[in-house]
Amino acid sequence: MINPFIYFLLFLKASLFSTGGFSNLPSIHQDLIGNGWAEESSFGQSIAIGQISPGPNGLWVISLGYLTYGYLGALLVLIAITLPPLLVLVISAVYTHIEHQRRVQGAMHGVSLAVVGLLLTVTWTILYQPDVDWKGLLIALGAFGLALSRKVNLLIILGLAGLVGYLLYR
Amino acid sequence: MKLQNPGPGEWKLFLVWASIGLQSFGGGASTTFLIQRAFIEKHKWISIEEFTYYWSLCILAPGINLIGLTILIGKKLGGGLGIIVSLAGLLLPSAAITCALAAIFKQVEHISAVQAVLKGVIPATGAIMLLVGLNFALPIIRKSYEEGLLSLLANSVLIIICVLAVILLKLSAIVVILGAIFLGALFFSPKQDSPPFYDERKRQQ
Repeated sequence: MINPFIYFLLFLKASLFSTGGFSNLPSIHQDLIGNGWAEESSFGQSIAIGQISPGPNGLWVISLGYLTYGYLGALLVLIAITLPPLLVLVISAVYTHIEHQRRVQGAMHGVSLAVVGLLLTVTWTILYQPDVDWKGLLIALGAFGLALSRKVNLLIILGLAGLVGYLLYR
Repeated sequence: MKLQNPGPGEWKLFLVWASIGLQSFGGGASTTFLIQRAFIEKHKWISIEEFTYYWSLCILAPGINLIGLTILIGKKLGGGLGIIVSLAGLLLPSAAITCALAAIFKQVEHISAVQAVLKGVIPATGAIMLLVGLNFALPIIRKSYEEGLLSLLANSVLIIICVLAVILLKLSAIVVILGAIFLGALFFSPKQDSPPFYDERKRQQ
């Protein structure tokens, strides 16, 4: 029997001690499995649903909420992932007071370089999978060209990719 | 600094965020790209420098970085109400659809056609993520190129170190960011305290 309050706190804790959409996974996995509140397969399913559904990639936990605890679970999870990022307002307020210092500027430049690096690894992580073969890489190349042109709607690009996937892999 | 358009009303803000939330299929890899396109290129409500500044603050905040970014842009364009409207626009429609898809997914996951479509969509997601990364990298690389070859080299090397730290050493994102903060303070600090971009912006307002 799931306790809604503790269920909410588990997701809130995981989000509070994570950065980005996926780093809350280990904590949630440990807690939900430990309490017997989720099946192992729910996690793979939730991430797959996150890939095909709209919104920030962190929304995969919404589907986990639904699969483990129905609509109430999805709602509790939505609140739990919305609250921690509000701390950015505190960070922003503090930062305006220290940003003129040279070391802080250097440090923030380091952060922006790390962001570029981390974003590039996401591409690598997505493409370096057993599921992605040379045909998949060609799809990626085509999608990159279309997106680079800035003339084609993103939804159309992904729709085309899905269509090509259907024709190649069915 | 480029001339910026006046901010939108709340309803318009909600619609723009909702449209971003609903269009960012592919696990959100495209969300940042859409935000760049809508707020910087199309409506010109914020500049690329502001966007990069906000993004580096979001990296320091816990949870989903995009939600932090939404909060900061919402605040800039509409204050407290702007935050609520922006969050509601980005999250409610897309979370509702995610939830509905979770319900449908259980029925169709075993069908091979669904898996074939996914195998096409996932590489495209990776490609769009690459463009998002390049959009971030371009202003930094251009600026360092203007500063000279050494700066260009130092910037590129730190980016490559971050990439390798994640791919080869499997370090977590937080460790990489902390390391970059340290290296940045060590090697990229200007010679003296200087008025940065944000002060310039305040002076112009």
